Amino acid sequence: MVLKVFRWSPGFRERIQRFWVPAKEGMTVLDALIDAQRRLDPTLAFRYACRVGMCGSCGVVINGRERWACRTLLKSLDTRIVTVRPLYHFPLVRDLVVDLAPLGEQTARVGGVFTPKAEAPAFAPIGAAAPERRRIDPAIECIGCGLCMSACTMVAHDPRFPGPAALNRLFTVDADSRDAGDPAREAVLLSEDTLLRCHGQANCTEVCPMGISPTESILALRRRAVRGLFG
Amino acid sequence: MPQRPRRILRRRWATTEGWRGTRAGMWAWLLQRAAAVALVVVIGLHLRTPYWHAVQVLLLGLVLLHGLLGVRAILLDFGLPVRWHRRLLVLALALAALIFAAVWGWRWS
Repeated sequence: MVLKVFRWSPGFRERIQRFWVPAKEGMTVLDALIDAQRRLDPTLAFRYACRVGMCGSCGVVINGRERWACRTLLKSLDTRIVTVRPLYHFPLVRDLVVDLAPLGEQTARVGGVFTPKAEAPAFAPIGAAAPERRRIDPAIECIGCGLCMSACTMVAHDPRFPGPAALNRLFTVDADSRDAGDPAREAVLLSEDTLLRCHGQANCTEVCPMGISPTESILALRRRAVRGLFG
Repeated sequence: MPQRPRRILRRRWATTEGWRGTRAGMWAWLLQRAAAVALVVVIGLHLRTPYWHAVQVLLLGLVLLHGLLGVRAILLDFGLPVRWHRRLLVLALALAALIFAAVWGWRWS
């Protein structure tokens, strides 16, 4: 199979490099990248850690779609030419490696940080059956891989749009009754570049390997913001 | 030391790469916007030539497409599960085709 990989280093022009890699049964895109790096070009840079779909650090764009390289079987792509590019909308570090810092920066900017209430007890569990818990649970498993940010066309269009991951996190914190709330949150929710920017294309939902729907969280926040407007 | 400007790749609509992996929700959004722009032109034509059959047909098709995709967006806004969004797109398109065919059979065949 042919692996077409995006190559770029600071100070150099970007290019696509082709690697011929023998495809084997059960081989993933990450396996193919490792093979290319070991046999053909040790300067090829990409990021991975757990190799089993737990850490989310090997997120790349494979044949135009955001995926984890370690969980993408070559066989599943149904083609002999596989294009691998770095995630969109993150600062490039080198080749397939991007800087994921904007995820945390945007989350902090929208007030998606848990702040306990002053009078709150040290342990304040919310029961598994509580409606609040059931509302939050589907959105809580984000591991910050950045695939949703890369897939979002609004992040591409408006650099001030915080992106699906930050807004999903904001939803989980905002819906938590133990959270004191950030005074800046209301202004953020109703600003032009936040909830109103989401066009509900659900690209983030489609690519999330954790099965989270940031679109759902954004729409829930939007309903909350609208209710707030009318008291 | 001066900091080098950051290089960020963006999904550009004018590139093939930007359109690869385009998903149903994006097509729904694009179709609705394209139908809105086309409606502005066709309504203008319809006002000048109200009995021109081709314009009437086009107007009906665009109104159905734009309106039903709008209903889909509203239903999602009001809390229908986002995991249904693909099915809602198919439903909106099927309903548009059905109503179009019904009107065609009733008035124009």
